[in-house]
Amino acid sequence: MAKLVRLSRYLLGGIAILLCVPAGALAHEKEFAKFNYCPSKTEGVAHCLYSVTNSGEILLGKKKTKIEAPVTLQGGYSKENSETHISTFTAASGAETLVKTKENVEGGLLGLVPPEHSPPLVVLLSKYFFENEITGVKATLELAKPASEIEVSNYNLLLGSGLALRLPVKVHLENPFLGSSCYIGSSSSPIIWNLTTGVTSPSSPNTPIEGKPGFPETKEEFRIAQINENTLVENNWSAPSASGCGGILSFLVDPVLDLMLGSTTAGHNTAILNNTIDTATATAVNNH
Amino acid sequence: MMKSSSIRIVVLAFAVVALASAALASTAGAAVWKFNGTELSGKETIVGAAYSSSLNIPSAATVECEHFLYSMKISNSAGKGVGEVTEVPLYECKVIPSTCTVAAIEPEKLPWPTKLSTVGTTDYLVIEKVSVGITYGGEECALDGTKVVVAGSAGGKVENTAQQATFDKATFEATGTVLKVGSSPVEWNGVFPTEGFEAHREQALEG
Repeated sequence: MAKLVRLSRYLLGGIAILLCVPAGALAHEKEFAKFNYCPSKTEGVAHCLYSVTNSGEILLGKKKTKIEAPVTLQGGYSKENSETHISTFTAASGAETLVKTKENVEGGLLGLVPPEHSPPLVVLLSKYFFENEITGVKATLELAKPASEIEVSNYNLLLGSGLALRLPVKVHLENPFLGSSCYIGSSSSPIIWNLTTGVTSPSSPNTPIEGKPGFPETKEEFRIAQINENTLVENNWSAPSASGCGGILSFLVDPVLDLMLGSTTAGHNTAILNNTIDTATATAVNNH
Repeated sequence: MMKSSSIRIVVLAFAVVALASAALASTAGAAVWKFNGTELSGKETIVGAAYSSSLNIPSAATVECEHFLYSMKISNSAGKGVGEVTEVPLYECKVIPSTCTVAAIEPEKLPWPTKLSTVGTTDYLVIEKVSVGITYGGEECALDGTKVVVAGSAGGKVENTAQQATFDKATFEATGTVLKVGSSPVEWNGVFPTEGFEAHREQALEG
C-alpha cells in the first residue's frame, strides 16, 4: 500500500512538471530560461531570440496606439548570410512567436483625443467615455505570415543602418461593436514593417526618423548578448483597408473605420518600437 | 575725432577678438609633420606595429590583437599635417572572455583620412572614418557568426620624445573622438611607434 502511495506521488509530481512546461518547450537554467520556447534543436537554427518591446507607438493613419503592455517576439534564427547579413527565422516552439498583447487605441472608436496639454480631468473623462468597454478599442499585433518570413540582421541592427527586422503583421481591432474578426492587414495583404535602427526614408508627408542600435551587454561569459535601449523605427509602410469589422455589417462598418483612420498609404503611418533584445546560440541554450 | 566711449568700444572689441583667438588656439589647432625638427616636404609613408592594442566594449568584450600593423601616407598641406591610413593588417586576435573567438577581423572602407590636431600644447593624430569589422566565432558565443562593426574616429597623442602615438581614453576625450559598436562607446588602447619608411627611413615622426 505504501509503495502504491509513493508511486502515485511520483506520477502526480511528474504530471505537475509536465503541466508547468508546455509541449515543445524546454526548461533552461537561470538567464537561459527566457529561451525556453526557442526551437534550439531544430535544424538550421543557430541562435535564439527573445525580444521585448517595452514601449513605443504605432500610428496608423490618424489613430495612435501607445505600446504600454510589453510585446514579446521569440524564436530561433539562422546564421547570417555572409553577403546580405540577413538571417531567416524559425517560429517559437510551444508558445506564440509574436505574443498577442492587447493595447489601448487612443480615443477608442470615437477617435476623440484631447490635446496633450488638456487639464487632467478632461483627459480622465475622455478615457472614461471613449476608452471604455463599449467605445474603447483594443489593438493586437499579430503575425500575418509564417514566422519563416521574418528576417533579422544583427549586423545591421548594431550598425545603425539597413534592415534590422522585417516583420509581416496585421492589426486585430477588438470591441463589442467591431466584433472579433476586424483586421487591418491579412495573410494575403500583410503590413510589412522593414524596421531599422538607422534613419528612415519615408514618403511624404512623413519625414525621416532615426532609430537607435542600443547598448550591447553580455551575460553568462558572453553566452548571452543583451541589447538595451534599442529603438526600431519604420515610417514608410502602408496598410490595407479594414476588413471583417462589424460582423455581418462589415460592408457598412469597414468603410466607416477606413474613414476614421484616414489615409494609411505609405507616408501616413509610423511604428516606433523600444526594445530589450536577448540572443544566445542554440548550442549554449541546449547546454544550459 | 573719435569720442572716448567709441575708443573704449573699439579697444574692447579688439580685446574680445584677441581673447577669442587665444581661446581657440588653446582648444584646437593645426600642426605640421616634422622629422628631426624639420618640416616634412612632399610625401612620406609611416609604417608601424602597435606594442599593444585592444578594443574594449564596456559591459561586453575585449578584443586583443598580437599584431596590429598600420601604414599611413602623410604630407603637409596649407600649413596642416594631413594624411591617410592605407593599410591596417590585424593578426592573432582573441576575445576576452574566451567563450568567443575572432573568426575574422578586417579594416573596412580604407583609406581613413588623418590629420594632426593641436589641443592646448599637445599634438594629436586624429584618424577619421575608422571602420573595423569583427566576426565572432565560438559555439556558445552569443554573437557566433555575427559581424560587428566598430566605427567612428580615434585621436592619439603624438609623443615626440618617445617616438610613438598613444591611443587611450584620455586621448579620445581630449580630441573629442569616439569609436562605437551600436550606441556603446568602445575604448581603444594602443601604443604605435611612428617612423618614416621612405625618404625619412628610420627617422622618428614628430607632430
